Amino acid sequence: MTEAAGGGSAQQPPMNRMVVAVLALLGLLVSLYMLAHAMGLTGEVICGLGDCETVQNSRFAWVGPVPTAAVGTVGYLALMALAILGLQPSIQGSRIVPLGLLLGGVIGVAFSAYLTYLEAFVIHAWCQWCVASALLILLAFLASLPELRRIGGSP
Amino acid sequence: MSNGNAGGGLRRFYLIFAIVALVGIGSLGYAVGSKVLGGAVTEPVILEGTDDLRRLTELAVPVVSGEEDAPVTIIVFGDFLCGHCATFSLRIRPLVEAEFVETGQAKLAFYDFPLNPETGTFLAARAARCAGDQGKYWEYHDHLYRTQYTWAMERDKLGFFQSYAEDLDLDSGEFRGCLNSDRHAPEVSANRELAHALGLGGTPSVLVGSGGGMNRRLADYSFETIQAAVHALLGR
Repeated sequence: MTEAAGGGSAQQPPMNRMVVAVLALLGLLVSLYMLAHAMGLTGEVICGLGDCETVQNSRFAWVGPVPTAAVGTVGYLALMALAILGLQPSIQGSRIVPLGLLLGGVIGVAFSAYLTYLEAFVIHAWCQWCVASALLILLAFLASLPELRRIGGSP
Repeated sequence: MSNGNAGGGLRRFYLIFAIVALVGIGSLGYAVGSKVLGGAVTEPVILEGTDDLRRLTELAVPVVSGEEDAPVTIIVFGDFLCGHCATFSLRIRPLVEAEFVETGQAKLAFYDFPLNPETGTFLAARAARCAGDQGKYWEYHDHLYRTQYTWAMERDKLGFFQSYAEDLDLDSGEFRGCLNSDRHAPEVSANRELAHALGLGGTPSVLVGSGGGMNRRLADYSFETIQAAVHALLGR
């Protein structure tokens, strides 16, 4: 029997996908909080570290008519759904799941890196929630790396 | 590894996942709910002890322009959606400031009198005071009067007042925090109560007084009327 990347046998749900699902859930919650704030549904952002209001009031908090947090919400939702689907025994061997997780991770890390660059060098302010989101997507991407071994068809 | 163990692992995962999701959704619900319950205060708050006029005058806090020990006090009760108040603030007040306030003969005390708070005037009064926390009360006050017909029609007054703060280069985070709270609601509420207690029926209401004596309400808010009243108090 071939050991699945990330640990476990063919029947054992891949541990790394569980980790990605939980990290994506946390990222989704962070994005939803920022989205609720952008839509005026919350009061002042809870911000122990940094200057969240400056970041959230900057023009980069919106991508055209869409709050940046909405982009994160959709991204995390897709990543979470894919990771949970990948835990189902009938889908575990599919190549779509590892490809999707890796591609989602790369896009997410690239987008977060761009937002982090904006915070550091353009807005000159940090938002703890944005930093948390950047860390979560980075961890989710790292947890997706074992999927490289599954792209070839190994479950 | 048996299928039973695999199923058990998945069940444990779903349990942890559900707990994280529930805690997160609960926290989000609280954040949204607390805004609904305790966000920006847009209408007067109930104050204790306002039946007693002396107590009410302690609770009411005007915004003062001029020297504290000026011999004459010119008191103005104004509403941010009142057209005559805009005329007073933008045309008459500069004359009063130049002739009496800047020369130390009088100080000007502005009391909020939001006639119909639900139309946004209470929030406007709070917004001006939030700007005052950053040293720009009168700039914001005048800005509100200059643009009263614009924001009067605006549904998202919170967003509009926030944009005014940015126009005046205020710290937008600090301003938003102030506006999305109950800060200054007690003072504005007390000022409004005081106007009612004094029997003032409209705005702007201008009163003048000196050194602890009775304040006299003027018949109108024209510069000539104010000038005559101040000169009389100064013994000219």
